[in-house]
Amino acid sequence: MPKNFLTIALPKGKLLTDSVQLLTQAGIDCQGVEEDSRRLLFDLPPNQARIIICRPTDIPTYVEHGAADIGFVGKDTIIEQNCDVAELLDLKFGYCRFVVAMPEENLPPILPNGEYDLNYINHKRVATKFPRVAQMFFSSKGMQVTPVKLHGNIELAPRVGLAETIVDIVSTGRTLRENNLKEVAQILEATTRMIANRVSYRIKYERIQELADKCRELLQEN
Amino acid sequence: MKRSPLGLKLPEGMRDMLPEELARLEEMEAKALKTCRLWAYQKVATPGLEYRACVEPDAYKHDDLYKFFDKNGQILALRPEFTTPIARMVVSRLKKPLLPLRYCYSGDVYRNNEARYREFRQVGVELVGSGSEVADAEVIALAVEIMKSLDIPNFQINLGHNGIFSGLAEELNIKDHLRLELEDGISRKDMVRLEGVISQSPLPPTVKELLLAMPHLTGGDEVLNKLKEWTRLQAIQKAVESLQNIFQHLEDFGVKDYVALDLGILRGFSYYTGAIFEGYLPGVGIPVIEGGRYDNLYADFGVNSPATGFAVNLGVIQEQQAEFRVEKAEILVYGDSQREVIKYCRKLRQEGKLVEMVLEPLSDQEVASLAQSKGIDQLIKV
Repeated sequence: MPKNFLTIALPKGKLLTDSVQLLTQAGIDCQGVEEDSRRLLFDLPPNQARIIICRPTDIPTYVEHGAADIGFVGKDTIIEQNCDVAELLDLKFGYCRFVVAMPEENLPPILPNGEYDLNYINHKRVATKFPRVAQMFFSSKGMQVTPVKLHGNIELAPRVGLAETIVDIVSTGRTLRENNLKEVAQILEATTRMIANRVSYRIKYERIQELADKCRELLQEN
Repeated sequence: MKRSPLGLKLPEGMRDMLPEELARLEEMEAKALKTCRLWAYQKVATPGLEYRACVEPDAYKHDDLYKFFDKNGQILALRPEFTTPIARMVVSRLKKPLLPLRYCYSGDVYRNNEARYREFRQVGVELVGSGSEVADAEVIALAVEIMKSLDIPNFQINLGHNGIFSGLAEELNIKDHLRLELEDGISRKDMVRLEGVISQSPLPPTVKELLLAMPHLTGGDEVLNKLKEWTRLQAIQKAVESLQNIFQHLEDFGVKDYVALDLGILRGFSYYTGAIFEGYLPGVGIPVIEGGRYDNLYADFGVNSPATGFAVNLGVIQEQQAEFRVEKAEILVYGDSQREVIKYCRKLRQEGKLVEMVLEPLSDQEVASLAQSKGIDQLIKV
């Protein structure tokens, strides 16, 4: 494999289209790279690159181990996976927020400053795909909760009594509304990031930085 | 079966080594140590168990140590690296050390983290008692020679400086909060956060520009000249001069082509104080060599002494190597009288042959097929 050959990990799902579009604009011809084709590995010989498509939560792992040199992935996943990778660029798309939400009929009391009194959640169960983020948030408030790790459809948990509270990512808030859940606190905001393996970023610095710079220019134009 | 099912398993991150796996590792280890010997580094050993207070003095920091209690209730830890235990040994055992000390070591280190292997072999050196740049260059050159002796193509060493950030922080009196934010961003290699923190900070514009440019300063000497013109700040000037001198020495050592300058090596505010370096192999996601100058470590133990060194992670390099052939017996000896067989084996071994004897009474035919399956070329019947 040539020294500057690049393996790029892109996330399945809604971030893929934006990622492919940005890479194409930045000069990496991604023709044929799409999720529907069921292929997971795309060789792009003229670009001296290949693209792998994997689950968003796995991207930091591929990059940390050096199986991919760079990856596009949400900040939410980076925080939750806590992998040792270099974070190069905020790609701005894929905006979402981490929030704490509770059933409308069981909301915490409201404090004089207008915020919900989170102490009400102390010692309660929190259903989430992101136990690390949840734990970090609640312990920073001096609170103790029991995370219940789920892999999807978190909104179901409070309705059937698996947990009193949820921590989840929301983009429009529609899922919360449809399930009679109400946001009681925001934890943090997240967008998609370009990440790089720490060794790749040093030995393929020029190639990776050139791509990052081009993406940055494109983002500023838009 | 008398043992519980757990007795057949290994704790996470541990592995056994069968002869062929171990042979590869030990061959590499022997080559590396031989190179150290040529450079007059003497091998030392420290114990696997240390007091936690030795290997991780900051009790409030998160660590990756395997910890135990001894009978007195003290916390023990498996060594996560050799540099600190060797500092402890030097300070406590050598009352009047003949400086500079040149020590090398080889052994397993233990880190209780998510890595694939939590026990892995390290070979490394410590050069204690010299703060000179030629000492920095010597250990870097030795690192290059070790990699060459291991027949590893395409390795690369990147050389940076850990004194720039801390020097800047001191010189510009960067306050606690900002400093913590910068440290955190640096150690996480989170450039997005660093960019935000730096551009919103009250630092002078040239310093902001410089901090933002640091991760991108890689290449040859030209990088240093560029950096030197940038600012008259003393922290920068000192680091640049030191790197320039080291680079000159590396040329004299004949290893300059293997080393790239790289001020983007971000290692947080660890015990490294000056020139730092990392060795990379294509396709290996973590550095295979980590090293640098740590002038404050000995002071932690009550003695002021500059020091530099590095460790090679043989465990990951081993995986990159092709299968290794294990030494097989050269001769298989058998016969009707075990006394005679033993006697003959002793004679052959005295001649330096690798000899294996047949333990059970077997026919000629059975012995022949045994030799074949074991790959032993010569058969002797006594």
